[in-house]
Amino acid sequence: MAFVFGILGYGVVRAFITSLYQVDMLMVDQPFVGLRNYIELVNNPRFVNSFQRSLVFVGASVTLGTMIAVFVALSIYRLNRFKGTVQALILIPYMVSGISTAVSWRFMFTGTGSLANVVIGLFGFEPMSWLGDPNRAMAVVVLANVWMITPFSVLIVVAGLEAVDPQLFDAAAVDGASGFSLFRYLTLPLIAPMMGVSFIWLSFASFNMFDIILATTGGGPGNATDLMAVYLYRLAFHRLDFSGASAVMIMLLIINVSVSILSLRLSRT
Amino acid sequence: MATNRRPVRRARAMRVFRDALLTLPLLIFLVWTLLPLTWSLSASFKPVLELYMRPPTLFPREFTWANYQAVFAFPGFPRFFLNSVLLAVGSTLMAITVSTLAAYAFARYAFPFRHLLLLSVLVPRIIPRAALVVPLYGLFANLGILDTYTVLLVSYTATAVPLATWILTGFIKGIPESLEESARIDGANLFHVLYYIVLPMAWPGLVTVIVVAAVQSWNEFPFVLSFTNDATMRTLPYQLYLLRDSLGIQDWSLINAFSIVTIVPIVTVFLIFQRRVISGLVGGSIK
Repeated sequence: MAFVFGILGYGVVRAFITSLYQVDMLMVDQPFVGLRNYIELVNNPRFVNSFQRSLVFVGASVTLGTMIAVFVALSIYRLNRFKGTVQALILIPYMVSGISTAVSWRFMFTGTGSLANVVIGLFGFEPMSWLGDPNRAMAVVVLANVWMITPFSVLIVVAGLEAVDPQLFDAAAVDGASGFSLFRYLTLPLIAPMMGVSFIWLSFASFNMFDIILATTGGGPGNATDLMAVYLYRLAFHRLDFSGASAVMIMLLIINVSVSILSLRLSRT
Repeated sequence: MATNRRPVRRARAMRVFRDALLTLPLLIFLVWTLLPLTWSLSASFKPVLELYMRPPTLFPREFTWANYQAVFAFPGFPRFFLNSVLLAVGSTLMAITVSTLAAYAFARYAFPFRHLLLLSVLVPRIIPRAALVVPLYGLFANLGILDTYTVLLVSYTATAVPLATWILTGFIKGIPESLEESARIDGANLFHVLYYIVLPMAWPGLVTVIVVAAVQSWNEFPFVLSFTNDATMRTLPYQLYLLRDSLGIQDWSLINAFSIVTIVPIVTVFLIFQRRVISGLVGGSIK
């Protein structure tokens, strides 16, 4: 009885997974064209553009997200009071949908009287168009993305800090280590594994980001924010090129897996 | 003594300064976290004209509920809201049923390749939903279930199961096996063991999984965008996305009010269970 139930549960999961994977393989192979889809993609300037745009987007998001996560996690770790409340407040963006995130961020950056323009006005800048300019539009979606995905990273790094034996910090303080050297030679190596996990989370979430982009810029202006996930979706549903889209998906999968293996290796040593 | 006091005072001043230095980034981060939503919230209570007033006001000068009335009176709004609730509840129930059983199997039975399989359970998390849509669309079209609740329930459940299984396996492994054995000796069958021992003891994990699955389903966008066409199948995020195109001139008051209406229920659920969810999520990501 137990066995049957175990198999059933496991079977359902397994069936879901195979159904998710076999199908797209079949699509690529119907009729069998080998690597032609991939070769066509690599030679397609729009794909190359979306690949480069993704790298910029992910690179900026991960760098910013990691720095914020470490600083904020250190502050939370030192908190004596309100720790729970602060963590709950910080995690709110993680519970908000990508579409709502996009609404709020678009609202802050749209129009001459927008919050962003009022803020830069305080510093004497003229109001500017944010989402109409390729570079600034990219900056806005990076910020919105960081806003949504960094909170979870903060939690991960806090957990990493809390797993460290506090006596280690005390001992180092007794030995006269302080400030930057304490951070560089003790804290950083100790939380490196958790930073690896946070890094993986940030890069996956950014590579796969779809909702925010589609609802904030729609990939524009021009193709400035046409990231891989958005490009793939357009390829499939606007151009009906399912095999090309599947090839992009496999490439995304390969990128994500190699990023995670690489960062696990790096953070362990 | 007098010579001693000064360094002490200086040390205290240093500590105050250092604490301020450490709390400052946190305060900035809190502002950064809460500002976008606060700004939308404030706009949702303003009449449209006040949005374009300069300098902008955080607290509406002319406080109005009109935007919320417009949201609730929006054609089809009750339907979209019910769709969202139904899908969140339905897919969460299905996901926890499947993942509890799967997690129990992973935690308790030594079948071949189980570590590899447990790891492979996480694979769907690596692929963007927007990409999963592509292979799944063909499959669902062949099955003839596009534009139905079934297709959304199935796909939402399927994407919620992996993380849920992962988190629950960790929690179930933490339950001492001897408890189950003694229950078995007393004649309990698997259902009894699951219902009376495993579920209550894995409760913190279960709460986490329930909230995470509900949040995911409530906020889901690519699937509902691709698998449904009919207006009656829309969920709140989908309609919110459409508002952007359908209104012509952007009615930011209405859009912000709509956005707040979709955020409040799910954030409330999260805040009620936040302590359990935070520890469960963090535990799940480390194990």
